[in-house]
Amino acid sequence: MARLLLQTLALPFLAALLMPIVARLGDRAVRAWTLLVTLVTLTLTVSLCRGYLQESPGTDGFAVSDVAWLSSHATEMPLVADGATGPGTAIWDIRFHVGLDGLGLWLFALAPVLMLTSILVSWEAIQDRPAWFYGMLLLLQGGCLGVFAARDLILFYVFFEFTLLPLFFLIGIWGSEQREYAATKFFLYTLAGSLFTFLGLLAIVLWHYQQVGVLTFSIPALTAGLTEHPIAPFGLQLAIFLALFAGFAIKVPLFPLHTWLPLAHVQAPTAGSIFLAGVLLKIGTYGFLRFSVPMLPDATAACAPALLWLSVIGILYGALVALAQTDIKRLIAYSSVSHLGFCMLGLFALNRIGSSGSVLQMVNHGISTGALFALVGMLYERYHTREISAWGGLARRLPVLSCFMFLFTFSSIGLPLLNGFAGELLVLVGMFQRAWQGQLAEPFTQLKWIAVLSVVGVVLGAWYMLWLVQRVFFGPLREPHGIHGVPVRDLNWREIAALVPLAVLAFWIGIYPQLFLRPIQPAVDALTHEAQGRWEAVDRPPLADRQAFLLRRSR
Amino acid sequence: MFEAISLRTLLILIPALPLSGAILTAIFGPAILRRQSHWPTVLGLAASCICSLMLAVKWQGQLPQDGKAGQGVEEVVTLWEWVGIPQAYAPSPATGLAAIAATENHAPLDFRIDVSLRIDTLTATMLVMVTLISTLVAVYSVGYMHGDEGYWRFFSYLSLFVFSMTMLVTVSNFVMLYVFWEGVGVCSYLLIGFWYRNPAAAAAGKKAFLVNRVGDFGFALALFLMWMTYGSLSFHDTDTVAGVLGARRFAGELSFVGGGVGTAICLLLMAGACGKSAQFPLHVWLPDAMEGPTPVSALIHAATMVTAGVYMIARCMPLFVAAPQAAWVVAWIGAGTALMAGLIALTQFDLKRVLAYSTVSQLGYMFLALGMATLGGVTAGMFHLFTHAFFKALLFLGAGSVMHAMGNVIDMRRFGGLRHRLPITHATFAIGCLALAGIFPLSGFWSKDAILAAVHDQAHATGASSYRVLYGMAMGTAFLTAFYTFRAFFMTFYGPQRIPEEAGHHAHESPKVMWIPLVVLALFAALVGPMLEWTHAFAHWLQYTPSLAMMAQAAGATGAPAAFHWDVAVTSTAVAVAGVALAAFLYLGHRREVAALQYVFRFGWMNPSEAPSDWESASPHAAAVANVTRPGGHPTVTGHCPSDHPSGSHGHEHGPGLLALPARLLKAVGCGLWSLLTLPLWLGQFVSPYQMSHSKFFVDEIYDVLIVGPLRGLAHISYVLDRVLVDGLVNGVGGLPVRLGGWLRKSQRGFVSLYGLLTVVGMVLVVVVSFWWGV
Repeated sequence: MARLLLQTLALPFLAALLMPIVARLGDRAVRAWTLLVTLVTLTLTVSLCRGYLQESPGTDGFAVSDVAWLSSHATEMPLVADGATGPGTAIWDIRFHVGLDGLGLWLFALAPVLMLTSILVSWEAIQDRPAWFYGMLLLLQGGCLGVFAARDLILFYVFFEFTLLPLFFLIGIWGSEQREYAATKFFLYTLAGSLFTFLGLLAIVLWHYQQVGVLTFSIPALTAGLTEHPIAPFGLQLAIFLALFAGFAIKVPLFPLHTWLPLAHVQAPTAGSIFLAGVLLKIGTYGFLRFSVPMLPDATAACAPALLWLSVIGILYGALVALAQTDIKRLIAYSSVSHLGFCMLGLFALNRIGSSGSVLQMVNHGISTGALFALVGMLYERYHTREISAWGGLARRLPVLSCFMFLFTFSSIGLPLLNGFAGELLVLVGMFQRAWQGQLAEPFTQLKWIAVLSVVGVVLGAWYMLWLVQRVFFGPLREPHGIHGVPVRDLNWREIAALVPLAVLAFWIGIYPQLFLRPIQPAVDALTHEAQGRWEAVDRPPLADRQAFLLRRSR
Repeated sequence: MFEAISLRTLLILIPALPLSGAILTAIFGPAILRRQSHWPTVLGLAASCICSLMLAVKWQGQLPQDGKAGQGVEEVVTLWEWVGIPQAYAPSPATGLAAIAATENHAPLDFRIDVSLRIDTLTATMLVMVTLISTLVAVYSVGYMHGDEGYWRFFSYLSLFVFSMTMLVTVSNFVMLYVFWEGVGVCSYLLIGFWYRNPAAAAAGKKAFLVNRVGDFGFALALFLMWMTYGSLSFHDTDTVAGVLGARRFAGELSFVGGGVGTAICLLLMAGACGKSAQFPLHVWLPDAMEGPTPVSALIHAATMVTAGVYMIARCMPLFVAAPQAAWVVAWIGAGTALMAGLIALTQFDLKRVLAYSTVSQLGYMFLALGMATLGGVTAGMFHLFTHAFFKALLFLGAGSVMHAMGNVIDMRRFGGLRHRLPITHATFAIGCLALAGIFPLSGFWSKDAILAAVHDQAHATGASSYRVLYGMAMGTAFLTAFYTFRAFFMTFYGPQRIPEEAGHHAHESPKVMWIPLVVLALFAALVGPMLEWTHAFAHWLQYTPSLAMMAQAAGATGAPAAFHWDVAVTSTAVAVAGVALAAFLYLGHRREVAALQYVFRFGWMNPSEAPSDWESASPHAAAVANVTRPGGHPTVTGHCPSDHPSGSHGHEHGPGLLALPARLLKAVGCGLWSLLTLPLWLGQFVSPYQMSHSKFFVDEIYDVLIVGPLRGLAHISYVLDRVLVDGLVNGVGGLPVRLGGWLRKSQRGFVSLYGLLTVVGMVLVVVVSFWWGV
């Protein structure tokens, strides 16, 4: 299995490298080549998932390969004064260390699925330098796969930053009118944040080095080490947490750091939007869960209420702003802000139900929003507009497209028996459990407000999506002129093929979510265990006491 | 004969057959079956109905035969684990809740949601009702939807709805209940908006979904609180966990939660029920839902889906018994809604809307019964649910038959005197009206009487005046019900025959495939009530439901439901007859409504376009109307009947109608009543109760002003803030390096003296700071 994972990771990069050669054979060959490679990647990923479900490894990781890339061995001079390191211990240790665990598994698997959709959606839409376009897409996919498989900090960061570049070019070259502005803003905004993240990660490594004496970048080793030797002055831990927060929260994006997202989405080509919403945003939540929560449990517990507030504001704010949109793509972009708020809410509820639900919700959002962007792209391809008011009654003109649109709308608003519901339910149950635990009959505290307000987001979510459907697909037929005045056609087989895998997944997760939860739950539990303990150890004093507690901790 | 098929198989088949019908129709409908697309649905539903009946009979055989009360019997079939998170919740000892079973070693509780099906008498009752009516409606739809371009789509949705509905009443878990609760909601959304090109239909579908979502907001909160309080979300006990409505709780081993939390849970559940069952203040979606095809209105928005709230409250009755204040709220919401909807129905001109408000009103009746939180109340409520399903479906299908003949015209001002054109529809509609009005001995009489008796008993048992008021409200509603039902009936089928031009050559009786279901439903509407009531079968049967058995046990009752009260029965009958009489006076023969209203209000307030004179002007009576409203006329009201021309009033009767013989007597009573009623109406002409009723008490407008408008405004303000403030801040920060650079560049101008000065200042600063810090 380890070899399988390596092949999966290498394939997109190799394919991208070969792209200049393939490009000589013409555009058709480029498309076919990309499709072929993606299908192979997808097959490999599916067999990895099957293997994971059959073996059901614990929290140790699955299909792990661990090769020293840049490491030296201490022989005489231990760098720590108390002599914690002995001879033979690797003191400088960057490794090529990859593997899968329950947290990353489904996000990893989502990338090739969305890649398939992206290719099929771009098939005719991209006529400008397709070789470059598909090359960039392959690199983007490779980066996304790498992020979720990396078990070494440096490797993670390399992939983390690497995903920015292809998307920057995808938006900047193949985007809409404001593409340069959007690409620059997207790039600078996320880069600025992730530089802080890098500093934070380095600080974690150095602290570990100082305490344990091994300069390791291995994520499992760091997690274990920091559990044993938590970063001591609370202020330092908080500072590192905030540094990590800067990068991850921008990536999520958490309110109020979200403004790059609608712009990037609206300007990006369809494939870019699909990847951005489907996979890239999840890197933020993934980062929180992989680094911030297990490695900085005290700071996590202390900041959780604030983060929960930001999440719930994001949920409501995103939904409200989505309600005011006239541009269909921007509407869905703001709905992403709202949905990611749910992911963050469940994550920082910091209990088994909430955090597992959050990971499931990340996958769900990838599926439903990815599909919605694909559908919007198909509409754009037909009418060359994104104005909601330009359309009406399209259900008659485009019955198959409408059918898929309804399906993914329902999936997006969390309709039962589709994927969105299971995740949302678990997130909300988790949040309620966090808010009401041990104080059922007591009056409302801030957490209870957060919990109740987050459910309001579910109502608003249904409002803007159903209103969108009503305006665009119902009522008397109204449509702008098609290209060249030819009446538009309904989806062809290629477009249906792009959507069917996502539809199948939507139903599958909705009807049998336990299959998907089974790997997620133990992994997430192991990661959140410490922070959860810290939070509950305080036993939730009232707000004034909490601030006193923070002050005490910081001294 | 049924032994070969196990309960398990039947339980799975009942929802599976409609589901496969839906899938088959969706796959083969558009291209292959086309005009025959109804076959998978009709066959699937019929088979499901047969399975339900078999299940009910089989289950009857499994009940304990000694007939002792207080024995709950249930069986649960678990299909698969939907979600399971082990050791998810450790109730803290500080909570001190007796409601959660202590597990071994006090291990945390698992969050486990199974897809499990249950059978008990409550479920069996609902299953029989749902599948029977849906089969009849599906058959009817074959005729009604004939030639519609979305023929296959209609049947696919219909099947899908029946799947969701049968699952809703069968599942044994609150989360799964919620799942199919939303499932029927989405089917309703799809079917209301079935004719999506009509903007009104599209808007009505969205409105129904959103108003239901508001209710579901409460339901979801109830669910979360229940998880926190009971540590489980399943109805039944599992091996490790005691269910919310499980046997261990009924055995008294664990308690139900009362107090603030218990009341909150119940009220939130009621909020969910208010949404689905269209109770005040969430009733606004149901009348709009009439934009859907009429068979849908009959099945979903009258007989089945809207009763889901009643089913849910009945299922959760033990929780309400533990929280009496919540039960009291249920009763008041029910009675208030019943009265309000009855008042609105008085003045509607759309036949389907009259029936829709009538449904809201009757559902209010059921909630009133449930709010008694007594065994008699719950069985009465469920009994009314059962009988109401038949006669209301009948009325809607009858209205559909009228629409079919009238070329989709449904405004009662535009047609009239249809009894000769549509004899079967007329006869069956009459049975439905009599049942709805609660006239002896049809079904409605028995179930309505059971509800009134339950309220009456509770008023006597507690001596609380509030229950007396509720009883009065229920009686008042009974009067209104009889009046508006027969108002619609007389306006549609009596008076001079008028047919709108849209009808074309369609103005004749519907085809056989449509009137046979009408006749079957009419038989049920007439017979179900008396047969079940005379044998007391329904109450006995329902008592074996675990939730209700516990109530029987607690009440110490020996299986006797609320006794039949002669006084209640006589009063309610008198009230109903009075309602019919008033309707007969105003609408049979001459339509006096307009004249009467003009007489009272002089139309000072009335919008000309809305004026009912539209339809009255077509009648020969218009001259008399004009006479009454002559300018400067100041008629006095009391003491005599306006525009009552005894010689002329029968001149326009076309032969002996259904009520020709007692008509004269009825009219005499009605005339007296009218004189009494007009006095307050005349006094209230400035607040115009007619206008209030006609405008549905402005609830929609109030919501628009108070909720929808502000939220839209907030949305736009947020968007502006997002662009200006949030994004502006980001751009400001992003531009900072550039500006800083520009500012620094200004300092680099090559003035050596300036450099020197800055050097000195810097050095001084360094020195000062070092002293300060004591470095």
